[in-house]
Amino acid sequence: MSNKYYEFFCPVKVIAGKAALEHIPYELSGMAATRPMIVTDKGVRAAGLLDPVIAACEESGLEIVSIYDDVPPDSSTAVVRDIAGVYRSEKCDSIIAVGGGSAIDTAKAVNILVSEGGDDIAAYAGAGVLKRPLKPFFVVPTTAGTGSEVTAVAVIADTEKHVKLPFTSSFLLPNAAIIDPRMTLTLPPHITAATAMDAMTHATEAFTCMAKNPLSDAYATAAIKKISNSLLAVMDNPKDADNRLELAEASTMAGIAFSNSMVGLVHALGHATGAICQLPHGLCMSLYLPYVLEYNIESIREPLGELLLYLDGPEVYAATPASRRAEASISAIRRMRDALYKHCKLPRTLKETGKVVEEQLERIAEVALDDGAIMFNPKEVTLEDAKAVLRRAWA
Amino acid sequence: MIAKRIQPMAFQARRLYVELMFQVMGRALQAVSEVDATVQKDASALPEGFLFEMMVMPQGSSLIVEHVGNGRFHYHGNSAPRPVDLSIQFKHIAHAFLVLSFQEKTSVAFANDRMLVDGDISYAIRMTRVLNRLESFILPKLVAKRAVKEYPANLHLPEKLMSAARIYLKVASNFVETVRA
Repeated sequence: MSNKYYEFFCPVKVIAGKAALEHIPYELSGMAATRPMIVTDKGVRAAGLLDPVIAACEESGLEIVSIYDDVPPDSSTAVVRDIAGVYRSEKCDSIIAVGGGSAIDTAKAVNILVSEGGDDIAAYAGAGVLKRPLKPFFVVPTTAGTGSEVTAVAVIADTEKHVKLPFTSSFLLPNAAIIDPRMTLTLPPHITAATAMDAMTHATEAFTCMAKNPLSDAYATAAIKKISNSLLAVMDNPKDADNRLELAEASTMAGIAFSNSMVGLVHALGHATGAICQLPHGLCMSLYLPYVLEYNIESIREPLGELLLYLDGPEVYAATPASRRAEASISAIRRMRDALYKHCKLPRTLKETGKVVEEQLERIAEVALDDGAIMFNPKEVTLEDAKAVLRRAWA
Repeated sequence: MIAKRIQPMAFQARRLYVELMFQVMGRALQAVSEVDATVQKDASALPEGFLFEMMVMPQGSSLIVEHVGNGRFHYHGNSAPRPVDLSIQFKHIAHAFLVLSFQEKTSVAFANDRMLVDGDISYAIRMTRVLNRLESFILPKLVAKRAVKEYPANLHLPEKLMSAARIYLKVASNFVETVRA
């Protein structure tokens, strides 16, 4: 009897493509929601990304009752409490998050408070605390990378106790994710590149780490193919709506993949580097990906070699001997990073970031060793291993 | 027909095995923290008074150890003196049996969603490292390879035998003390 076992869960309705935003009123009405609140940040509003969302709702006679546009990059328990207060005072009955990871995580936490009651979001921290569905909740991502629209996790900082509170429950998943190419059309090149590489890393780690499964594999490989085919086209022509949509879809698919199969050492190192050196998450992912794949290579030779088909296409895959495909996959990722460096100077080494000093590597390695993602890395990582990967990624 | 009759006995045997293994592991955790510097280093990052629990859901067997300072653990049996800080919970006794009979590695059990972590994930990772180190010491290499993600390359036979002997001696003494008490 096979020892294989896996779980896969994604109940999020994905609404993707041209005029996707215009489906929001119908979808809300299907959940008997008539008083939505938008949760977003100042950057999204300044970029004019709320306008098509509001217009789509108003045109259908749906009034956006309240807009909270002051979500900070690292959201806190106080912000969540404030937004929940506005939601209650305005008698809203649903939430639409418009933004990146922070706005989406904040909205997930707000949804807990307004559905379960109380003002102390910390009381709901942890896994499996929530026992029933929350209020209607839609997500409109404005970056193509985090995949937060399909993950059952939110992280909120408790600034008084100086800890990050994790929330895990399938009830945090939105009812619908609306993927509209208009939302990512104006993303600056370096953010486009970093977030796409974030999605690439989600998919690559989902496909090569310990909890991979046939369903997450299907999403991961499809996401890698879309990113490989579309990222450089978007970098050449940022207004290319078709390829923008491909990247946005890839991000959601990579999110579905990694939320069902977890990630590994790239994320462990990236989380640690982000916390210690304040580097953006997507940039860390792009930076560490090839070095970690090289470190893991003997444990993941087969799946990594398989990825060559999606990274470089069938001709290259067929022309490459099976024994060399894993190395060829890493080379393809390196070539993509080199091209992005040419386009927008997306750093390929820690030194190129200009924000990390060599003395910090030891601390990064120590913190990475305690990161939850390391559990799912196919190779057991020691402190010396982590330091060795960091030294290779240094310059 | 025979299978149906045997099944309750098999379930009972499984339950007893898991209970016994929790008792051995709890005592062995205390012992290894008195013997091994690497374990002490890992454990010393935990807050003093930190209570760690491994249990079978919903209210099955459990083991509870406390970090009493300087990287040392104290085994509390199956009842905690106060609410635990970190709990690793097997969803079913069958899953606990798979791990404790070394048919499934701890890391694989995590990847297979056999267990839930209630508490700080970074402490859970630390405790898993300690458990892996313990298993590498006390199990024959062939069995340990089935239990841990990677058998430590720098753990050589003399160190393994010496440490294992000291751990087993301490576990046996602890069992005797418990019986006497």
